[in-house]
Amino acid sequence: MKKNLKITPEGTKDYLFKECTAVDYVCKKIQKVFENHQFHRVITPALEYFDLFSTDSSGLSAESMFKTMDNNGRLVVVRPDSTLPIARLVSTRMQNEVLPVRLYYNQAVYRNNPSLTGRSNEIMQMGIELIGSKGKRADLEVITTAIQCMQAVCKDFRIEVGHSLLFTSLIDSLGLTDDLKETIKEYIENKNYSALNDALDKLEKNDTVNAIRKLPSLFGGEEVFEKAKKLIKLPEALEALDYLNNLYKDLSKLDLGDKIIVDLGLVQQNEYYSGIVFTGYALGYGDAILSGGRYDKIFSEFNNSMGASGFAININHLAEEARYHSKSNIPEVLVFAKTDDDIMEAISYTQRLVKSGVRAQFSDLSDEKEARQFASKLGINKFEIIGE
Amino acid sequence: MNPIRIALTKGRLEKSTIQLFEKLGYNCDEVHNKGRRLILSIGDGQFEVVLAKAADVITYVEHGVCDLGVVGKDTILEKGSSFYELLDLGFGKCRFALACKSGYDFYHGYGAKTIATKYPKVTRTFFEGKDMDVRVIKIEGSVELAPLVGLADGIVDIVETGSTLKANNLEIIEYVTDISARLIANTASLKLRKNEIEELVKKMEAEVK
Repeated sequence: MKKNLKITPEGTKDYLFKECTAVDYVCKKIQKVFENHQFHRVITPALEYFDLFSTDSSGLSAESMFKTMDNNGRLVVVRPDSTLPIARLVSTRMQNEVLPVRLYYNQAVYRNNPSLTGRSNEIMQMGIELIGSKGKRADLEVITTAIQCMQAVCKDFRIEVGHSLLFTSLIDSLGLTDDLKETIKEYIENKNYSALNDALDKLEKNDTVNAIRKLPSLFGGEEVFEKAKKLIKLPEALEALDYLNNLYKDLSKLDLGDKIIVDLGLVQQNEYYSGIVFTGYALGYGDAILSGGRYDKIFSEFNNSMGASGFAININHLAEEARYHSKSNIPEVLVFAKTDDDIMEAISYTQRLVKSGVRAQFSDLSDEKEARQFASKLGINKFEIIGE
Repeated sequence: MNPIRIALTKGRLEKSTIQLFEKLGYNCDEVHNKGRRLILSIGDGQFEVVLAKAADVITYVEHGVCDLGVVGKDTILEKGSSFYELLDLGFGKCRFALACKSGYDFYHGYGAKTIATKYPKVTRTFFEGKDMDVRVIKIEGSVELAPLVGLADGIVDIVETGSTLKANNLEIIEYVTDISARLIANTASLKLRKNEIEELVKKMEAEVK
């Protein structure tokens, strides 16, 4: 297949020089936040069995995964997500660890997106998982970590918070078919008011239907809770709302003003969310760059019941932004060995310069004229000759 | 603050949207005298209009280079994936319909049916809903030709008055869905510029209701 010799597969690209510096810069900033919260790094394989991601709750379609086979004919995928592998890891390798555990990862995920949409199929992600604890303390620790990540790497951002049980308890109380539930969920997720109204008009009128109708428009600040409390009558939904309201009050102590938004219509595609959900947006980028929440349900797939929450943040775009601010990495000095006998001295001298804080590079060209030309083309100001 | 950028579907939807903006009291002179420019300012510079083909409106909005877009429901059903659909603007009304040659019994027999269409996704979804496995052929131009020359058993296409169908001896078997122009928003824009967008949506909603 020689015709593909000079191109990378769709949705992937090479990263060069400043682009890498920018990726490193963003990763270091986020890593610092994670480590300051005492999260510890894990690495999971890039290849996993398909079964891990084909559970009902994974929210990943089979079409969106890159698949191959191992030598026993078992279906293998290139990891499309890091949370499920970590749930697997915790359920198996960490059975005897003291809970809760705090883990973080820095690894790409792979999605087979539709062609020609300009989306990345290789998404560099960093994220945390706080496993083995439930409740407000864990939720606030995770959201605060997310906020600090956004603060560390974006100029302007918004974090929106919601509660997945709000919608699920309302819709479950109506006793609809799974198909219809899914459709209504999609309309709410897309804030498709007109389609949502049409779908709900076909149902019997009651308080719950009326509340669902208003869900997508219930986003903003504190005032959202007042409006919602008038609309929602179902006890389970009210409980979720109260919980979210308390959480929001706590978060407002961070004094971030309108950077924290409530969105009661925030329903995540992944079925595994079972509590708070949150999403982060950065100015200048058209899609969410951070998403997370509580997903206790995930461990039931492993016959395990424990609390789990966390988030993932996409690095690619943040690195693109940071690229414009990253510093030059052109060497300051080029060190040239006059003859072959001077090579070792020149290499040691270069390393001595580097240790003293100078960006120095040993010239691997053997002709002085060529070496000088190389230096001037690259913009290296100083040229030093060893052996004169 | 940068202006809110709105992608408009060129042609009829563009004209109706500009009329709507004028009714709301925004100055649209630049759009009327656009010449060859593709980015135009309206109001006192708080909005900027971009003219594009229908499917591209969705692309621009999904990528966040435009905050809002006006596009037909037909294109949304065929191409749409992740954005907010905020408002039914009420103009650009028409319908998707399944049609075949007059007098042809479409649902007769067990043979797999062949459908010609410009909208393969809409067609597939429609027949999936009927538990029918059909063969879909994508046609770029006049779809009406396909059943006449024997390429397909039927067509799924946009119907306004039905006169093209009649002139070619085709008849509507079933309506698939209603179509009209929709206001869509980029997901991040709605969060980052909530107040400005909501204000516009409220004004538009009051006008089109």
